[in-house]
Amino acid sequence: MYSGRCYGYFYRLTGNNDISDELLSELFVKLVEKIGSYKGGSFEGWLFKIASNIFHDYLRSKQRRKKLLETQKMQLESEVIEYKQSDGEQIERLQKQLGRLDRDTKELIMLRFYSHLSFKEIAQMRSEPIGTTLAKMHRGLKKLRFLMEG
Amino acid sequence: MENRNQENLGELFGKFFDAEQVESCLKDFQQAERIFRDNPAPEPDDMLIANIKAEIAMRLGARKAELARRRIYRRAVAAAAVVIVAGISATLFDRTGREPGRLATASLIPTAIWESDDVTADDADLAFFATEIEQIENEVMALESDEDTSESDSTIAELEMELILISSDFWKE
Repeated sequence: MYSGRCYGYFYRLTGNNDISDELLSELFVKLVEKIGSYKGGSFEGWLFKIASNIFHDYLRSKQRRKKLLETQKMQLESEVIEYKQSDGEQIERLQKQLGRLDRDTKELIMLRFYSHLSFKEIAQMRSEPIGTTLAKMHRGLKKLRFLMEG
Repeated sequence: MENRNQENLGELFGKFFDAEQVESCLKDFQQAERIFRDNPAPEPDDMLIANIKAEIAMRLGARKAELARRRIYRRAVAAAAVVIVAGISATLFDRTGREPGRLATASLIPTAIWESDDVTADDADLAFFATEIEQIENEVMALESDEDTSESDSTIAELEMELILISSDFWKE
């Protein structure tokens, strides 16, 4: 149940099956390690908070890699597309359009869709006012809708 | 987006946007819901799930072993603490069973003085007895240093008797 939603969350954010596999494995290992820190409340909130942290760790490591390989910057930026094409897979339309959203908005939409958390919980998780979360969400969905219909 | 948390999105948006915007927001949400429903993300591979389960089982096993080891250490430490406390207690009780110094000094100091609370009176008594003893000792020594006479012998004997008497009075209870 949770594995599918967490996998979807990682996949939509990275667009890469292998990376999603790794992140999902890491997530469940972290869950086992940190289960003692779960103090009740929304399990999904706790789960997706860890998932979000794992994704940010991944982004940071990717950034480090980018810095190390400055000469290959362009290739790394299109890492997802290259990987998928080399795999002979077709990038689905939604994934392509999601790639056009800014990272923060994309993450917010994915969090809402896959975690099933309320906006209040999401706003708390992101440490921002709920009005800000709603405004970002609205802008993001509007853009996504425009891109998908365009 | 599915409203699985029983959020009233219309009401929630109404707090931040005007009526027209609320309607637009709700429409966008419904559209997004449809888009995500029509384009589901791939599911994790069965092999991946099996690997994750195996990894978790391995880690849980290792954690159980670690917990068991810690429990044994804790019990060992607790047992050691009990032994140490018991040893210290036995030593202390053994000491309190005795009357430290009492027996050794009782033969030298009269019990009445030893147990008396009147320190001033005891000091005066001790000073008096000590002076008398010293005085008699001096007299005995003076007599012994003189030439032997029958009279002096009897005087010495007399003084010695007095000294013994005073001494015994001093240590009497």
